[in-house]
Amino acid sequence: MKKITLFLLSAFFLSTTVFAGGYQVRLQGNKQNGMGLVGTSLNMGSSSIFYNPGALSLMKDKLHFEVGASGIMSNIDFQMEGTNSNWQPNNPVSTPFYVYGAGKINEMISVGVGVYTPYGSTAKWDEEWAGKFLIQDIALKAIFIQPTISFNFNNKFGIGAGFILATGDVEINKAINYSDNAKANLKGSTLSYGFNVGAYYQATDKLSFGIDYRSKITMKMEGGDATFTIPTALQTTIPPTNKFDAELPLPANLDFSVAYQATDKLLLAFELDWVMWGVYKNLEFTFEEKGELLNTSDPREYKDTFIPRLGAQYAVNSKLHLRAGMYYDQSPTNEDYFTPETVSLNTFAYTLGLSYSPIDMLSIDVSFLQLFGQKAEKSYVPDNFNGTYQSITYIPGLGVSFKF
Amino acid sequence: MKIRYFVYLVLFAFLASCKPEVNEFTPSKGTADFTTYVALGNSLTAGYADGALYKSGQMYSFANILGQQFETVGAGKFVQPVVNSEFGVLPGKLKLGYSTDCRGVTSLGPVSDAGELDSYTNHVDYAVNNMGVPGAKVIHLLAPGYGNIQNLPLGLANPYFVKFAATPDITVLEQALSLSPTFFSLWIGNNDVLGYATSGGVGDVITPVDQFGGAYAMLVQNLTQGGAKGVLANIPSITDAAFFTTIPYNIVAIPDTMQYAVDALNAAYAGYNAAMEQMQKDYRIHFQLGPNPMVIMDPGMEGVPEYLQFRQMTANELALLTLPQDSIKCATWGSAVPVPNQYILTEKEITNVTEAITQFNDIIKSTATNNDLAFVDFNAIMHQVATTGLMFEGVTFAPTFVQGNLFSLDGIHLTPQANALVANYYIDAINAKYSANVPKVSITSYPPIQFP
Repeated sequence: MKKITLFLLSAFFLSTTVFAGGYQVRLQGNKQNGMGLVGTSLNMGSSSIFYNPGALSLMKDKLHFEVGASGIMSNIDFQMEGTNSNWQPNNPVSTPFYVYGAGKINEMISVGVGVYTPYGSTAKWDEEWAGKFLIQDIALKAIFIQPTISFNFNNKFGIGAGFILATGDVEINKAINYSDNAKANLKGSTLSYGFNVGAYYQATDKLSFGIDYRSKITMKMEGGDATFTIPTALQTTIPPTNKFDAELPLPANLDFSVAYQATDKLLLAFELDWVMWGVYKNLEFTFEEKGELLNTSDPREYKDTFIPRLGAQYAVNSKLHLRAGMYYDQSPTNEDYFTPETVSLNTFAYTLGLSYSPIDMLSIDVSFLQLFGQKAEKSYVPDNFNGTYQSITYIPGLGVSFKF
Repeated sequence: MKIRYFVYLVLFAFLASCKPEVNEFTPSKGTADFTTYVALGNSLTAGYADGALYKSGQMYSFANILGQQFETVGAGKFVQPVVNSEFGVLPGKLKLGYSTDCRGVTSLGPVSDAGELDSYTNHVDYAVNNMGVPGAKVIHLLAPGYGNIQNLPLGLANPYFVKFAATPDITVLEQALSLSPTFFSLWIGNNDVLGYATSGGVGDVITPVDQFGGAYAMLVQNLTQGGAKGVLANIPSITDAAFFTTIPYNIVAIPDTMQYAVDALNAAYAGYNAAMEQMQKDYRIHFQLGPNPMVIMDPGMEGVPEYLQFRQMTANELALLTLPQDSIKCATWGSAVPVPNQYILTEKEITNVTEAITQFNDIIKSTATNNDLAFVDFNAIMHQVATTGLMFEGVTFAPTFVQGNLFSLDGIHLTPQANALVANYYIDAINAKYSANVPKVSITSYPPIQFP
């Protein structure tokens, strides 16, 4: 237990990484992780704060707490077009985490609060790699804090809403083509707001439906710090320190889900997530000084994606549950504007998981995911940067939940 | 029970652990044989840059880059006649630095970068694959004694060939053939017009087309007679180079506070204008506040007595990078004193240059076609750089001096990144012609111009 605590504490200081679908990370509950990340039609306790606030008021326990994290180990290989030169980013293990706590005020109303990390991206390419003028490394971290309230009617239909306070940090390094080792460092943080609403319907003992909408949140960085490492002769043209404004949209999600208790032991679930990536049109940086020279507007032109997910849970006995799932996550990127800052490929994933309850009040939740980013030739046309990418990602996860 | 399942899970994770591997490129030589590659040409092949042939510049020669890439498809080591100095064989190396002009204004620009040279008398005794000789014209590759030190005072030899000529009287072609090349690159012909152009049409003559054609045919015939395959490249539109486009024709700037200077100049040229009118010539010299076209010498003015053979420059004419700008700023060049002809390419001279390039390039193109050789159209590529610029891997190329990243500090020869670009164009042409798969290079692996 002490070790787990340490592990989770360290998680708070690490970032999360992209593993598919732009820079969204949906590893927000180790039970759901094992079931193909299906969650909106499931009623698995306080993690409903993220997956579906509507289900929170229908949770079976008076008090429920969950805490956990995953370790994303992503491997990417890139080969530049027309060459036999390959580069692999040396991505650090990143650790999205979650903490939820919820309680029933009465039969009708539940409240709770969750802290989780649904967006993030870490890519650490070699400083001298072929795409160094596009990106050397990027670290995007967002932490959401969401107090939530949920109501149910006749123990079958629940609705819920949460207010999201989102903090974000972004740091980007890219090389500049003046002399050797010239580079730009851009660092900013932001505080923004959003909401998460959901509805849950327990149609029969066996069948449940869920729908959830998480709003778009725009991370607006104002007065971020820009540091330019450039030769002395150019410092009158490009000031070494500068301030910048930038915006990064965290897209809205609309999730539809259905779950079916096929037998006493077997639970099946299906979900379709609509991720509204279409809002990510451009990445713009506006600088306080020398804007006419430094300002950039780089097209991204993402498109909305629909992610189908399948998950299953098998209750071996009252202490042990086994889980499996799969999903297919289409890349939201545009054919002409695929940048190595977010290596988001069409991705197939399978998931595995189990929960073990040594005592009734405690469940230890383990999950493992493997993601296959399909090999594809990609271009970033504005920079004429072309090559083939492939990725394979491993994500082990561990969590605990307590109920009272 | 729980342990068992957990072990299964870990075991599965271990078994599943594999890494992505992108391997879309298989190098192959196609129908060519790259075993022995020899590069023939001039300064561009040699790796001349920043006004000198120096060690690191030579390392970034497109020929050396090609030689290294050919090693993936069966080529032996590509050997260059290494210059053991960062300052070159002859003086003239430039670097970016600060200089103060005649008005006391300090600015950033090319300044002399002097140091210990690796003289041409330090002879290279090993066999070399890079036979690029800075300054060589087509005919020079066939000239016996071009590498003979005794011929230097007569102007019949070239110090760069003197440095690595195997015997005093061997020709560049003979030395190339002595390696029995299986593959060659030949990029020659620039100097057959460039010497004329960079001296403002004064210091050199354009090679007669017949002579160019005969020599070029002989070169290619000899290179291919053993069955070698190769690649030919044509002459870029050199008048698009920064050397010719950096100094504007109307550089004579008269500040608003100096109306008296305008009046004095116009008064001084009143007699000239009257004489021109009398001779029914259209030449007029007129100054106003702001930028003014330079007054230049032009011996090509027909029907005008020699003492009146000067006029104001037109927007279609080019001032050379060698024009001493201090003389403009402080010695009334271009206003009271006509700029000497050697610093200007007049419209007529530009026409001579472009016509010669067109004729030479016709010869190069048809030689490539007739001998079924790969061909790179650098004239078209240079034109594209000049009109729209080029972008590869986030690196931009434009003809602008220093900032454009194409030309090194001499305004004519290339930066390391531009040499990589050139090498990639060669590889494209070679792969297309010989169904080969020679890997290209990443331009970002090569340095841009170094700022202090």
